[in-house]
Amino acid sequence: MNNIMIIVLAVFAVLIVYDLQKFIKKKVTAKVYVLYVCFMAASLTISLLLAAGRRPSPPSRWIEAIFKMIGVLE
Amino acid sequence: MVKTQISKIQLFMLLLGFLFGSTVIMTPTVGAKNDGWLAILVGGAAGILLMGVYSAIALLNPSKTLVDILMERLGKVAGNILAVLYIWYFIHLASLVFRDFGEFICTVTFPETPMIVVIGLFAVVLLYAVNSGIEVLGRLSELLVPIIPIVIFIIGLSLISVHDFTAFLPILENGITPVLKAALSFLTFPFGETVAFLMVFPHLNKKEKLKKVVFLSAGIIILAGTVIFFRDISVLGSDLMARATFIPHLTSLLIPGLNVEPLVDINLLIGGGIKISVCIYAASKALCQIVGIDDYRTMTGAITTFCVVLSIWVHESTLDLFSWSEKVWPYYSIPFQIVIPLLLLLLSLRRSKSSNKKEKSLKG
Repeated sequence: MNNIMIIVLAVFAVLIVYDLQKFIKKKVTAKVYVLYVCFMAASLTISLLLAAGRRPSPPSRWIEAIFKMIGVLE
Repeated sequence: MVKTQISKIQLFMLLLGFLFGSTVIMTPTVGAKNDGWLAILVGGAAGILLMGVYSAIALLNPSKTLVDILMERLGKVAGNILAVLYIWYFIHLASLVFRDFGEFICTVTFPETPMIVVIGLFAVVLLYAVNSGIEVLGRLSELLVPIIPIVIFIIGLSLISVHDFTAFLPILENGITPVLKAALSFLTFPFGETVAFLMVFPHLNKKEKLKKVVFLSAGIIILAGTVIFFRDISVLGSDLMARATFIPHLTSLLIPGLNVEPLVDINLLIGGGIKISVCIYAASKALCQIVGIDDYRTMTGAITTFCVVLSIWVHESTLDLFSWSEKVWPYYSIPFQIVIPLLLLLLSLRRSKSSNKKEKSLKG
């Protein structure tokens, strides 16, 4: 684990603690927790992969590939 | 039921800020070279029509957001699927504007600062603005957006001594095809992106003024776009314009004895900030409507974080970002900006006609 990954983890920890505090105070429904976890987990996973230098194929490439497949782009 | 309301001037300023957005540093009609002004006029005319379609949808479905309209007109299943796709589209758009901002600041203003720091700090400020509500965003744009045309005017006026007023000639040197391609780019960036405003239009307090506000803002953008194009081409020439990365920034550097470079940063900060805020607001609100959450603010933090991460992930370099935005973005945007809204307009018109007939038969 490199320094950048530790910074990423620390930033996400701060964000999650800050938001969870608000959620507990507001007594939000379970749906909010589920959606929040989905978004934050996706963000954290991508961030850690980027920090580790293993860039996953980005959505812009998938979109481009789809358009090439259907013949819109050459 | 929409409780929060914004005035017509606030909506006008929000639209202007959104349309200026990253257009203040990126020139979508650059592909047409010295015929860019024609592309602006053609794309702008189509853009006015497209924005007219959005306002007509909003007027035919008063007090309803894009998600409500999709669900009502296309049914629950198809409506939900398209609403999720729109949420993705708004998130993607916000992340692209974040990246434009980051690329510009890290290339021009703070070359030593990591892009994630620039984007992250900008995101914190915008998250605060979005969480403050749409009225605050409206008031903020009322206060800040007038600065953008003033800056454009200052830069244009300062360069009056270094103009070559014949630089845009000859007309249609490369034929009509590059003009039409650039016009499509200008239609999809920025006019078509105002589809996000279908989540904001229900907040307007005087619905009858909607069309006027929309057409006026689109007209001003076309005028500003044409002025900026003639300013840039008469100062830089078409060759340098085609090779430059951030054209308005390069133009601002040429002012003799005056450094107005930070003014371009301010323009991007205001325009880009409003555009990202509206996109995050639209995505959060749409997501909360789909799953039945009352307060959109619960999701803004997670969505903004995802946008920031996506902005770093989505493109490897500036060149990749520019090439993708020029080649893929116009086609990728067509279903979201043109096809689905036109379908919604047709379905809304059919519905309003049939309800009018019913009313007449009941009266008869």
